[in-house]
Amino acid sequence: MAAPPPPSPDPQFVLRGTQSAVHALHFHSGAQGQGCPLLFSGSQNGLVHIWSLQTRRVLTTLDNHGGQCVTWLQTLPQGHQLLSQGQDLRLCLWDLTEGRNAVVDFVHLESMGFCRGSTLAMGQQRWTLAVPGKGTDEVQILEMPSKTSVCTLKPEADAKPGMPMCLELWQADSSSRPLLLVGYEDGSVALWDISQRKVCSRVACHTEPVMSLDFDSQKTRGVSGSAEKALAVWSLDEQQALQVCRTHEITNPGIADVKIRPDHRILATAGWDHRIRVFHWRTMKPLAVLAFHSAAIHCVAFANDGLLAAGSKDQRISVWSLYTQT
Amino acid sequence: MAVFDTPEEAFGVLRPVCVQLTKAQTVENVEHLQTQLQSVSDSALQELQQYILFPLRFTLKTPGPKRERLIQSVVECLTFVLSSTCVKEQELLQELFSELSACLYSPKSQKPAAVSEELKLAVIRGLSTLMHSAYGDIIVTFYEPSILPRLGFAVSLLLGLAEQEKSKQIKTAALKCLQVLLLQCDCQDHPRSLDELEQKQLGDLFASFLPGISTALTRIITGDFKQGHSIVVSSLNVFYKTVSFIMADEQLKRISKVQAESTVEHRVAKLMVHREADWVKSTGGKLTILIKKIIECVSVHPHWKVRLELIELVETLLLKCSQSLVESAGPLLKALVGLVNDESPEVQAQCNQVLRHFAGQKVVVGNRAFADILSENLHSLATSLPRLMNSQDDQGKVSSLSLLLGYLKLLGPKVNFVLNSVVHLQRLSKALVQVLELDVTDIKIVEERRWNTDHLSASPKTSAMRPWSQVQRRYFRFFTDERVFLLLQQVCQLLGFYGNLYLLVDHFMGLYHESVFYRKQAAMILNELVIGAAGLDVEDLHEKHIKTSPEELREIVTSILEEYTSQENWYLVTCIKTEEMREELTLKQPGFQAITSGAHNTCQATSLPAFSKPSPTICSMNSNIWQICIQLEGVGHFAYSLGEDFRLLLMSVLYPVLEKAGDRTLLISQAATNSMMDICHACGYDSLQHLINQNSDYLVNGISLNLRHLSLHPHTPKVLEVMLRNSDASLLPLVADVVQDVLATLDQFYDKRASSFISVLHALLVALAQWFPDTNHVGQPQEHTAEKEESHLNQRILENNATTAEDIEYFLLSYLKEKDVADGNVSDFYNEEEQSKPPEVDEKDTGPDVEPPLPVQIQIATDVMERCIHLLSDKSLKIRLKVLDVLDLCVFVLQSHKNQLLPLAHRAWPSIVQRLTNDDPLAVLRAFQVRVT
Repeated sequence: MAAPPPPSPDPQFVLRGTQSAVHALHFHSGAQGQGCPLLFSGSQNGLVHIWSLQTRRVLTTLDNHGGQCVTWLQTLPQGHQLLSQGQDLRLCLWDLTEGRNAVVDFVHLESMGFCRGSTLAMGQQRWTLAVPGKGTDEVQILEMPSKTSVCTLKPEADAKPGMPMCLELWQADSSSRPLLLVGYEDGSVALWDISQRKVCSRVACHTEPVMSLDFDSQKTRGVSGSAEKALAVWSLDEQQALQVCRTHEITNPGIADVKIRPDHRILATAGWDHRIRVFHWRTMKPLAVLAFHSAAIHCVAFANDGLLAAGSKDQRISVWSLYTQT
Repeated sequence: MAVFDTPEEAFGVLRPVCVQLTKAQTVENVEHLQTQLQSVSDSALQELQQYILFPLRFTLKTPGPKRERLIQSVVECLTFVLSSTCVKEQELLQELFSELSACLYSPKSQKPAAVSEELKLAVIRGLSTLMHSAYGDIIVTFYEPSILPRLGFAVSLLLGLAEQEKSKQIKTAALKCLQVLLLQCDCQDHPRSLDELEQKQLGDLFASFLPGISTALTRIITGDFKQGHSIVVSSLNVFYKTVSFIMADEQLKRISKVQAESTVEHRVAKLMVHREADWVKSTGGKLTILIKKIIECVSVHPHWKVRLELIELVETLLLKCSQSLVESAGPLLKALVGLVNDESPEVQAQCNQVLRHFAGQKVVVGNRAFADILSENLHSLATSLPRLMNSQDDQGKVSSLSLLLGYLKLLGPKVNFVLNSVVHLQRLSKALVQVLELDVTDIKIVEERRWNTDHLSASPKTSAMRPWSQVQRRYFRFFTDERVFLLLQQVCQLLGFYGNLYLLVDHFMGLYHESVFYRKQAAMILNELVIGAAGLDVEDLHEKHIKTSPEELREIVTSILEEYTSQENWYLVTCIKTEEMREELTLKQPGFQAITSGAHNTCQATSLPAFSKPSPTICSMNSNIWQICIQLEGVGHFAYSLGEDFRLLLMSVLYPVLEKAGDRTLLISQAATNSMMDICHACGYDSLQHLINQNSDYLVNGISLNLRHLSLHPHTPKVLEVMLRNSDASLLPLVADVVQDVLATLDQFYDKRASSFISVLHALLVALAQWFPDTNHVGQPQEHTAEKEESHLNQRILENNATTAEDIEYFLLSYLKEKDVADGNVSDFYNEEEQSKPPEVDEKDTGPDVEPPLPVQIQIATDVMERCIHLLSDKSLKIRLKVLDVLDLCVFVLQSHKNQLLPLAHRAWPSIVQRLTNDDPLAVLRAFQVRVT
C-alpha cells in the first residue's frame, strides 16, 4: 500500500501556540497515575507553557521570568514542583499541586550564560542544585530547599576551560558522593568530585564549546554535543578517569541538546540543521533523522513512555512516537 | 306499580296464578306469572322461591311432547326468578341444573336437540343465571364427583352450541355460560375466592373435561376469521382460563403421587382424572400442539383485539403454568415476542408491558427453564436467520427480525450466552451482514436529508453532475422496506447494549477486515452497536444491567475510528481521476484556454464517459462512496454516543471529516457535513464555525503534517481553505504558522499543484482582509466591489463559449482601456510613487526610529505577494487569473504598510506589465492599479 519511496516519518502531533522560540522542554508523567501526562515548555519570551498531552492544548501558562528566555525546566522527584531557569537570572520553584501555579521560592543566579542547571535528589526532601556561578568559569553548588551554598567549583588557574556550558549532577550507585560533569566552552568535559571540590578527570572532546551532554550512570558512559559536526561518546573507568571512546560525525554542525532515553537504549540530538537525529545508544548506529522543523532545534526531551519532544526556534514543539516508527 | 313487600301479600297475589299454571300449562299463564312476579320484591320472592318454582318445574317435567314456545317462556320465567333470588339448597340446584340442561337434549340423537335458537339462548341464559344464583357454599358442594356426568353433559352441550350454532349471540352466550360453569366467570357475583383445597377439588373435577374443552375451543379459535373477533376473543379467554386453572403449577405441586381412595361410586370414579406427573406430561404435550395451532392462527389474526387477547393468554399461561406447560413456553414466548412490533399500538403497548413485567419479575431471567428456552429459540433463530433473510419477502423479514428483537429484549444480559458461542455469533452476524448488503449497482437520486446550503459544503463545483450525487437513503439488495432497516438497527443497538461489546466489536472488526464485501455492512453494524452500548436509545427491561462504562466505550470508539480513518479505509477511489488528468492536459495545451474554472467542469462532465472505465469500476466506486458515507455516519454516531467525551477524539477525527466535507462527491460531503453537525451537537458547539474555530489547532496539526506528503493527501489545501473561511482573527498565530508550511510546500510544487494553493492563498487573504479591515479605507465596500468585479470577470469567462455581442463589446472596451493603461500609465505610476513618498517620510519622522516588528498579517501578506510575483508568469491562464486576484487582495491588506507594499509592487510591476501587454484577461489589473494609488 505504501508508496514506493516510504513517506518520511511524521511527528505524532505538533504543539503550536508558544508564539516564541522554544528553549526548554520537560515531560512530567502525572504523579501516581493521577492526572494526565504533561509537557512543560519554556520559550524565548519568558513563558512556561504547561501542555496536556491528552488534549494537546495549553493548560496553563506560567509567567515569572520578565520576558527573558526560559532555558531550563525540571520537575523535582517529590511531587508537583517545577524548577524553571530563566535569563532574568532567576531560578523559580513553582508549586503545581492541585492546579496551583505559584512561585514558592526562587534562587538568584549570578551568571547569565546559556548553561542549564542540574539537580540531584539527596534525600526525602533535600536535593542538590548545580548552577553556573558568579565567576565566568565557576559552578555553584547549592543545597536545596534551604538554598545554602555548599561550594563553588572553580577550575585551576592554568586550565582556562572557559565558561561552563552544561552541567550534569549524578551519583554512582555504590557511593554517596555526588559527582558533577561539566561541559566547558573550550570543548572539554570535566568530572568534579563535589565533596573534595576538585576535578577528577578532564578530557577534551570537542574543538568547539560543548553545547550539551548526557550521562548514562549504568554504563558510566556519556555523550556530548557541541557546535561542531561531531558527537563525542566518552566513558568513565573505575579510577574515575574520562576517556573519549569515539566520535560520531554528523552531516551538519551544531548539536544544541542531547538526551538519552530513560531506558538507555537510544539517544536523540537536537540539531541546528532543523533535524532531530536518533541513535542507538550502545552502538551509536544512526537510526533516524527526523525532519520536520523549519528552524534550529533548541531542545529535546524524552517521556517515560517513550515519547520524544523537540522544541525549535520555529515556535513549534513536535512530539514523536518512536516506537511506532520501528 | 304496586310492590308487594311481605311474603304474605305476595303469596296472595301469586297463588292464583301458580294454581292456574299448574292446571293449564299455557304460554299465557306463564307470561301472566312473570308479569305478576315483577311486582314482587326480591326478599318476598326469595321466601316464595320454592313455591313459584314448583309449577314451572312441573311444566318442564310433565312427560309428553311440549311446545317449544312454552318451554322457552317457562325457562325465561325461571331465569327471572333465579336472577332475583338465590338458590340455597344443593338438591334444588342439582335438580334445576339437570332440568335445564335436559331442555336441549333430544334422546334420539347425540347432538343438541334441533330446537329454535330462541329456546337455546333462553336455556343458556337460564343455566348461567342458575349458576350465579347459587348460594356461596352450595356452589362448592355442587361440584362433587357425583355431578360429573351431568356437568359433563352440560359442558359438551355448550361446546357443541358454541361450535356449531350459526348465531353469534348463542355462541357468545354459550361460551360465557361455559365460563360460568367452570367457575371462571369474571363478573362481580363471586366475591368468595376459593381456598386451596377447593381449588384442587375443582381442578380434579374439571380435568376430565380438559381434552374436550381444549380441542373444541381450539377448533373454534382456529376457525374462519369471518366468524367475528368477539367469539375468538371469548374462546381464547375461556381457553386460557380453563387451562391455567387446571394446569396451574400451584395446584399440581400439591397433587400426591397416589390417588386418594375415592368414595364415589365406581362408574363415576372411572371418569375422574388423577393429575399426577405422567398425566401432566402427556396433557402438556397435547396442549402444546393445540397452543401452537392457536398461536399460529391467532398471531396473524386481522383483528387487533384478538391479538391482544393472545398476549393475555401468553401472559396467563406463562405465569401460572410455566412448569406444567414447559414445552409450550417456547412457542408462547415466540408469539409474545413476535407481537412486540405489532402494527396496532395497543397490542404493542400491552406486549411491551407484559415483557417488561416478565423481565421485572425475573420470570424469564430468574427461571432457568425459561432462559434456556429463550436461548434455545435464539439459537435456532440465529441458525435459520441467514436462510430466512435469503428466502423471505419483506414482510417475512420484518416478522423474523421482530422475533429476533423480542428475544434479545427478553434475554437481556443473558444474550451473551448465545453470543459466546462462536458458531452462533457467526450465524447471527452472517445474517445481519447478508441482509444489510447495499445495492451498489445503481444509486438513484433521491433526496432524503436536506441539502445544507451553508457554505461549508458549498463547493458548488460538481454536485449536480454525478449520477450518484444526492442520496442519504440506502438501497439494499435484499429488501426495500424501511421497517426492515429500522428493525435491523434496533437489533444491532440491543446487541450493543446487552452484549459483550468487546466481543462484538472484535468480531465485526474482523469481518470489516476480512473482505470488501462485508466492510460496509460491518461498519453499519459497528455504528449501531456503539449507539446501543451508550444506551441512549434503548429502553432497558433489565434494570440491573450494567452498561459499558464511558471509558471503555471511548477506548472502543477510538480503536474503531482509528480503523475508519486509516489510509486504506478512508482514502478510497471515489471518482475517476479525470480532474488531475484534465489539469495536466490543460497544462500541456496552453492554447486550449477556453477552459476556466467554470467551463472546466462542463467539459469534464462531457468527457467523463470517455475516461471512465467499464461499469464494474462504477460499482466499486459506488461501494467506496457508501463505505465512506457509512464511516462518516459512524463518526457522527460515535460523537452522539460519547457526548462531550468525544472532544478528546476530535484531534484525530476532525481533520479527516472536514476533508471529506470538501469532497467532490455530494453524497460524501453531505454525510460529512451531517456528521460534523452531530459532532457539534454532541460536543456542545453552537455551529460548525464554532466547532472549526475552537479546534483549529487540531486541524492545523493535520494540515501541516499532511502538507508534507502532498501527493498522498492532495486535498489538504482544501481543508485549510475551509478552515480559513470559518475562522476569525483570534487564530492568526496558528494561521501564520501553517501558512509558512503552505508557502514552503508551494515552493516545492510550483508546477503541479499551484492552482489549489492559489485558492488557499486567495482564501487566506480574503480572511485577512476581513479580519483586519483597514481603518483608513472603507474596507468592506471595496471588498465587495472587488468580489463583484471578480465574479463578474469569472462569469464573463465562463460564458466565453457562448459569447454575445455585448460581451465582445465589453471585452474590447476593457481591452482598449487596459492597453491605454499599459502604454501610458507606467510613468504615472512612478510619479505617484514619488508623490506618495514624502508623506511616508513624515510618518517615519513622527514614529520611533527603530521600526517595530511587523504585524503578523502584514508579514503573511508580504510573503504571499512575494510568491505571487513568481506565479504571475504561470502557464495556465486559470492560475494567472487567480494570482491576480490574490495580488489584488495583498495590496488591499498591505495598503497601510507602504514600506512593504511599495518595494513589492515595484518588483511585481514588470511581470504585471508583461501580462498586460501579452495577455488578454487583465481587467483585474485595473483593480490593482486602483489600489496602488
